[in-house]
Amino acid sequence: MSLAAGPGRGHVAVGQLPEELKLVVDKHVAYIQSLDTRKDELEYHLTEHLRIGGIYWGLTALHLLGHPDALPREGLIDYVLSCLCESGGFGAAPGHDAHILYTGYSVQILTMIDGFGALEERLPDCKQKIARFVASHQQPDGTFAGDEWGEIDTRFLFSALYTLSLLGYLPHQRPSEPPLINLPAATAYIKACQNFDGAFGVSPGAESHSGQVFTCVGALYIAGELDSYLGEEGKDRLGAWLSERQLPSGGLNGRPEKLVDVCYSWWVMSSMAMIGRLHWIDKAKLTAFILQCQDPDEGGMADRPGDMVDVFHTVFGVAGLSLLGYPGLVEVDPAYCMPRHITAQISK
Amino acid sequence: MGKYSEDPKWSDIDPLPTDEGGPNPLAAIAYAEDYEETMSYLRAVMAANELSPRVLELTEDLIDMNPAHYTVWLYRSKCLFHLHSDLHEELEWLNETALQHQKNYQIWHHRLTIVDALGEECDVQGEQEFVARMFEKDAKNYHVWSYRQWLVKRFQLWEKGELEFTEKMLEEDVRNNSAWNHRWYVVNGREAEGVKGVTDPEIREREIKYAEAAIAKAPQNQSPWNYVRGIRKASGTELAALKPLAERYASVERPGTVRSSFALDLLVDILSEESGGKQQAGKALDLLATTYDPIRKNYWAYRKSQLGLGSIETAATA
Repeated sequence: MSLAAGPGRGHVAVGQLPEELKLVVDKHVAYIQSLDTRKDELEYHLTEHLRIGGIYWGLTALHLLGHPDALPREGLIDYVLSCLCESGGFGAAPGHDAHILYTGYSVQILTMIDGFGALEERLPDCKQKIARFVASHQQPDGTFAGDEWGEIDTRFLFSALYTLSLLGYLPHQRPSEPPLINLPAATAYIKACQNFDGAFGVSPGAESHSGQVFTCVGALYIAGELDSYLGEEGKDRLGAWLSERQLPSGGLNGRPEKLVDVCYSWWVMSSMAMIGRLHWIDKAKLTAFILQCQDPDEGGMADRPGDMVDVFHTVFGVAGLSLLGYPGLVEVDPAYCMPRHITAQISK
Repeated sequence: MGKYSEDPKWSDIDPLPTDEGGPNPLAAIAYAEDYEETMSYLRAVMAANELSPRVLELTEDLIDMNPAHYTVWLYRSKCLFHLHSDLHEELEWLNETALQHQKNYQIWHHRLTIVDALGEECDVQGEQEFVARMFEKDAKNYHVWSYRQWLVKRFQLWEKGELEFTEKMLEEDVRNNSAWNHRWYVVNGREAEGVKGVTDPEIREREIKYAEAAIAKAPQNQSPWNYVRGIRKASGTELAALKPLAERYASVERPGTVRSSFALDLLVDILSEESGGKQQAGKALDLLATTYDPIRKNYWAYRKSQLGLGSIETAATA
């Protein structure tokens, strides 16, 4: 699965959105299926470090589009298993070091395709081993390192929590066992990342950024501390900052005075959904903006109208439309970015 | 035949091609020849855990081709530390690489690892200057600002020109939210260690004055408005003290003269705390919903309902 951009371009909007402009579901499905056939392009292997991410993005988009079986299940399982490292973690592609982010994507893929049985044959007691790999990256201050080199990022912390949650290994999912991680330390760190404007950055003191808001709000949500920490006042402040991300074009940006981008329609909206403030944005305008970013002929979505499409923006555009209640799409879970009917089966 | 397979220096290595491929079409990867050859040598040296000067050259070559491959960076760090390489030279090489690949994430983590290891031997001023050069290309680069914050904390640069640096950045672009955030960090980043920021009345007044001057330059700029609100919240002082500032840019009585939706928003919060100010606050919310920020009309309607007032009145016009 490739992240390679193109071949198409997002629709170039001229004036008003034509009424007939609709989500081209079949074209998007065909686009995602075609990604894997473009291996002769240079960009394909320069994005090798994102391969398992690309599969997660493509597969999630297909699920939300109502075509969960459009990629061959056996091929997916073989590929994910080929990224498994001895440590119990997964790398981005075969031969890459295990990393907490790619372990998270792998667990999301395996959950969506019900693939843990196949993994169990290769790695007995696989869920516990993956959970222990994830837990082993927690630092004394509560954060999670991405790999053995210790880079810290709230993305890694969020990834660790949702991965453990999908595996059923968060402390509150196993109240009778000793906890694998120090959850209060993890959420204390997240809270320290909240800024004077009510939003969150990548580390304490770092500028508020919609992507980091998503990881911080998601981590608190999965830990069950979102409501008690923010309260109604905190949700109002954060919701106000998030709704200010919408610009007159209808699109959302990641920080003040930055350009709109389709991927922020996911990060901003999912955060607003988790704090119950999604209705504060102009849904009709945002829907129109996302639809303008699709290539109506070849499928796929771009960051903004007129740019090259890629699978990353395709999934976040589709997931954004799902949150907006676009007709015919499968409902998405705002914390996990997976179909709600699948995450509903997790013991929470 | 390729660059490495023809080089006698590498003749002892049996390159390891990728093990992807086989029957699974999803996994088969077709590499461009040069990149694949170089990667196959890296796989081989990693399998043998070779840490040598030629491995540094190999990783440099690979990073030039593809700086986003995190495994290559990690192996390079391991090699540098094992060989006790000259880390100053490494920084010089990194300068060029960083300027070529500005959005890359690994470069900054690698730089941080090197500078941290250099510790007191590091030319901190040189680092500050290099970061400033990066900002000439993109003044809002998130990785670079994060790195700058790390430098401030690691080398205790709080009072070594950082405040002046934010002023310089904001003179260039008063709307640079990253620079506003950095200013907040420099002023308030040591509260936990007992060094007061805006909780000190003098510093608070200085910062409010600074933000007021920035607002005068560009009233419809969200950053300084967030900044003054943040100061009030962090210091626990009354929002009402900001009323003269808000009224300079927004008036409920003369809606046609509103110069900033953020001023009007602030006025709502101040008015709603005043006795008898609710109706005025409601009018300000009508203005925001209908004229000055209609894309968020649902948000303004929520604010109005919080005040126990009715729905938005569309009759309000500027």
